[in-house]
Amino acid sequence: MHIPDNFLSTPVWASLDAISIPAVGWMIKRAGRDLPDSRIPLLGVMGAFVFAAQMINFPVGAGTSGHLVGGALLACALGPAPAVLVMTTILIIQAFVFQDGGVLALGANVFNMAVAGVLAGYWPFQLWGAARRSAAIFAGGFLSVLVSGSLALAELLISGVRMPRLLVFISLGLFAVNAAIEGAITISVVQALDKLNPGFVQKPARSNSRVLIAVSTAGVLLGIVGFLLASGAPDAIQSLGQTLGMSTKANFQTPMANYSVGNFESAWLRRAAAGLTGLLLICGLCVAGARMIGRRRSA
Amino acid sequence: MHHVLVDQWSQRSSPLHARDPRAKILVLLVFLVALATTAPNAFPSLVIYAALLISGILIAGLPPGGMLLRSMAILPFSLIFGLITLLAGDRWRALGLVEKSYLSTLAVLLVVATTPLPRLLGGLEASGMPRLLVLMAQFLYRYLFVIAEQAQHIRLAAACRAGISRTHRQAKFRAAAGALAVLFARSYYRAEGIHRAMMSRSFRGRFALLNPLRFGWMDGYFAAGVVALLILARVQ
Repeated sequence: MHIPDNFLSTPVWASLDAISIPAVGWMIKRAGRDLPDSRIPLLGVMGAFVFAAQMINFPVGAGTSGHLVGGALLACALGPAPAVLVMTTILIIQAFVFQDGGVLALGANVFNMAVAGVLAGYWPFQLWGAARRSAAIFAGGFLSVLVSGSLALAELLISGVRMPRLLVFISLGLFAVNAAIEGAITISVVQALDKLNPGFVQKPARSNSRVLIAVSTAGVLLGIVGFLLASGAPDAIQSLGQTLGMSTKANFQTPMANYSVGNFESAWLRRAAAGLTGLLLICGLCVAGARMIGRRRSA
Repeated sequence: MHHVLVDQWSQRSSPLHARDPRAKILVLLVFLVALATTAPNAFPSLVIYAALLISGILIAGLPPGGMLLRSMAILPFSLIFGLITLLAGDRWRALGLVEKSYLSTLAVLLVVATTPLPRLLGGLEASGMPRLLVLMAQFLYRYLFVIAEQAQHIRLAAACRAGISRTHRQAKFRAAAGALAVLFARSYYRAEGIHRAMMSRSFRGRFALLNPLRFGWMDGYFAAGVVALLILARVQ
């Protein structure tokens, strides 16, 4: 699910970079408020733990094995904002050190896996964590993988990567299976952790997370809408990408010679700018709406 | 782990290793953006990009074969997607996926193989990455190999005790969950120990570099020269 560079069209990766940077900045502010300095090594080492956890295989049948992805587990154990930061750090190290996922596509990967994935993984725990803990943790693991996978797929489709309908179905089905495996792994690891020390995975904090609930609800909805759209009408997403100017298909098929460079550049820039402003507007509306809801509820 | 060799390469010395990490980050970003916005059939530009990368490898004194092979790790993924796109009848995009993702992987590898990670992160911090993220990345990288080795030990121990292939699947699943929980707990306590040890060595919330970063004239010339070349190659 790590999108490499040059898989997404320029407007898509540029706007996701533009969304992820302030989102992570906001998480740093949130985490910094209730994060003593003594927790910084903990966050780094837990990132190393998630890396190393890939070495421990879980048999899932049919001769295959899965491994922990970790977004939901981190969110339940460390809290959502620190978990977003740990996942972001992991993605940065993966992009630079292991060339796993692109550098320009880092914003897209951070958005899919660190921001939306972790918040979607925390969302059920926050809502039902106190009453139906096991079900909530399973649902968290399930949602985190499903949301990041379907967002990645939707971004690829918007960018104009043409996939046959059958393939879209197959990959969505695989995401759902992987998501169920992640849910099962997450809940069984949490149960084992409870035996070791019941303090590791605490009860969800009730007090200060109205805004977070709103944002993660939006994230889950976005992921599910992406999933439904991609499964129901992959062609619709592609044409949406083309009308919004997100797809670079046109660029690829028109030989450069037919246009003067200046013309080409400005058309491209105009489309990129239009796409970028559109997405920024949506993102701004979401954040502003979430803030307003949060303020009203806490007042 | 496969990164150890690249880490050794990054400790060598060459004109490219000596450049300030900020200059290399800037050049890398300009390179990636230029590449991403180049049409896949603009072969002159692409040849210039590839030539730049190869001369970078030669100047840095890195083994060209090893570098080119290592960046092929991207190929299985991009070839599959390329094939799908080709079957969908979009041959320029298919070509673009494969060639451009390979070139950008090689570019990132070249920067990482000429810059030790602490300096690279120092450069990122100096160019505006938040301190908290930089610190976390440094801790992550320092303890990655330690925790990974611990995971290997746990896996080996589990294989020694219950490595019979006919064990019930559910029992194996639970055993893996238990192993992961132990790894989690050990990492957690290790982090507490690390923090206490660092406090007692008067850690002030920042890792110091052995040689502080210095953006000199040479770095300026290097960055300006390569960026100018890239822009020329992009708009030619």
